[in-house]
Amino acid sequence: MERIVEVVPAAGLHARPASKLVKTVNRFDADVSVGRADDGEEGAVRADSMLAVTGLNVRHGESVRVVADGPDAETALDAIEDLLTSPVEGEGEGEHIADDAGDDPT
Amino acid sequence: MTGSTTLTGSGSTPRAGVGTARWYRPGTDLTLPDRPDPSTVDPATERERFETARGEAREGIRRARERAEARVGDEEAAVFDAHEAFLDDPGIVDDVEAAVADGAPAEHAVHDRFESAIEGFEGMDGRMAERADDLRDVRDRLLRALLDAPASTDLSTLPAGTVLLAERLTPSDTAELDPAAVAGIATVAGGRTSHAAIIARSLSIPAVVGVGDALAEVPDGTVVLVDGETGEVVVDPDDRRRATALRGDDVPVVPEPVSTADGRAIEVAANVGSEPEVSPASDRGADGIGLFRTEFLFLDRESPPDEAEQYGAVVAALEAFPDARVVVRTLDVGGDKRVPYLDLPEEANPFLGRRGIRLSLGDHADLFETQLRALLRAAAHGSDGDGAGDGDGAGDGDRGDLAVMFPMVSRVEEVEAALDRVESVADDLTAEGIPHAVPELGAMVETPAASYLADVLASRLDFLSVGTNDLAGYVMAADRENDAVADYHDPLHPAVLRAIDRTTAGAEGTDAWVGMCGEMAGDPDLTELLVGLGLDELSMSAVTVPAVKERVREVDSAEARELAEAVLARETRANVRDTLGLDG
Repeated sequence: MERIVEVVPAAGLHARPASKLVKTVNRFDADVSVGRADDGEEGAVRADSMLAVTGLNVRHGESVRVVADGPDAETALDAIEDLLTSPVEGEGEGEHIADDAGDDPT
Repeated sequence: MTGSTTLTGSGSTPRAGVGTARWYRPGTDLTLPDRPDPSTVDPATERERFETARGEAREGIRRARERAEARVGDEEAAVFDAHEAFLDDPGIVDDVEAAVADGAPAEHAVHDRFESAIEGFEGMDGRMAERADDLRDVRDRLLRALLDAPASTDLSTLPAGTVLLAERLTPSDTAELDPAAVAGIATVAGGRTSHAAIIARSLSIPAVVGVGDALAEVPDGTVVLVDGETGEVVVDPDDRRRATALRGDDVPVVPEPVSTADGRAIEVAANVGSEPEVSPASDRGADGIGLFRTEFLFLDRESPPDEAEQYGAVVAALEAFPDARVVVRTLDVGGDKRVPYLDLPEEANPFLGRRGIRLSLGDHADLFETQLRALLRAAAHGSDGDGAGDGDGAGDGDRGDLAVMFPMVSRVEEVEAALDRVESVADDLTAEGIPHAVPELGAMVETPAASYLADVLASRLDFLSVGTNDLAGYVMAADRENDAVADYHDPLHPAVLRAIDRTTAGAEGTDAWVGMCGEMAGDPDLTELLVGLGLDELSMSAVTVPAVKERVREVDSAEARELAEAVLARETRANVRDTLGLDG
């Protein structure tokens, strides 16, 4: 089964959100892959690899396709969706990444 | 070894300290042994070595995380979670295990796998390049464990009484040092105007830089005296040498503002580059802060500080100097000051590229706006009570103790645009009903252009502040990190002195005051000259405040002006130094 999810954390799939994704995937009995929604099957990489996930260079605001297979597939997808759609705690000023034009200084 | 040995470099922080030598070698090279014949390698042993190394690396990463959390906060410590994720990456672990099964020793397998991963990230944009750094860090932890190489020193937890010896320190190495623990610093390379040396001065850590290769002969564990006053590093100093050096440290602190012998008030302030430097500045009797660098708020983290954090930092500085002025410089990145998450442009000549106000009015307009909001709110903080005392700026109105200056100004249009931004931020805050005030506003004079335009800038602003390090660099066209042209950096070159004179002369007849916040301001041997050149304020590393205050009291302004005129008439640096009674 699969799901299309928009990546909300300001850092995109880097740093903390990426390591959390890897950690989350490892908690479940499921094979999970992730890739840019627009890139189709070929763009997918294993979601339990930090190297592969950060190598996608997915930015905040982009959508990804998450595919899970295995006994825990459904719960794994729920947990991943939850993670990718919540802004990271303590990162309130979220959109300060240089290539994000719309910045909200308040 | 009996008897002492004396080595010489450039004294950087004019204080002395004695302690136990300890080498810092971040580049301890993790050279791999030659690749053995695969048939001589036992895969089972290598696999086990890899597992053990991973365990050690994991412990190291977790310890680093805990420390980072305690020192800088949870958000910044998160980078170590990424390190741990790389350590467990199946793409790495599986490949290393496969290589080991094929007869590669664990260290070669690790090295090769990380090398190819790093290559993949390198040459990509900001965040991806950071991952390459993460991978290098994890790789080095593994290799250190496998090669049984000494762990790199944790600079933040050095034992008390350490004299740190290094080839060269980076600014971030230096910023990590605990001034209470580090008795001194001596480096093989580097000049006294490097950022690392400046940070050491701000932290009041005795330092001698550029000692040369002879320093490498000093073994760990020897007793070393670092005398930043004389530029000497003494190995095994005798009691008399110790006593002389340490006595020179005690220039009496003068807490009150000072005037020249004939009554001209000269403000003697401190340069501050991080929060821990604020209270030493006040302890050393500084009349205020003449340069509050805001870069530290932006460094070593993953995203910029928000308005609330910047407001808090500035208010804390204002509270530390309730009866004085705090001059905050708006964000000055670019040049050699890199901030990974800001995705600064790659430029062939960053010192001549987008830095300081150029970025604030361009790519970083959003950061500038956030910073101005924080500053205007902070300006209101001190305005209703204690702030009136030092109001020597133009048209006070609602002003507090805060002053704000823009770095790297070279055009009048930049000042006008910055003033427009201030006005529009003030309008926004009014509309939002948030208390604020417009602080004194000024420009740094760091470029020849700003010095030529001093009269025009002064007519639009409340003050100018001469940044002599950059001004000397730009007037003399010499890179200050380049030891080969260090000679060009003396602010006593006639061309630099004329640029300073042009600045004070340009401001004459306007209401603007002129300060100086470069290293030159902190040299007591130059105090009389600077008073003669017409500076109203001198801002320096806190450690030199007492000595400069002592000098100001001895100066007669008329004589100082004569001295300045005599010096300005000199055609070479040698003649200038001669006129000032300085060596060579």
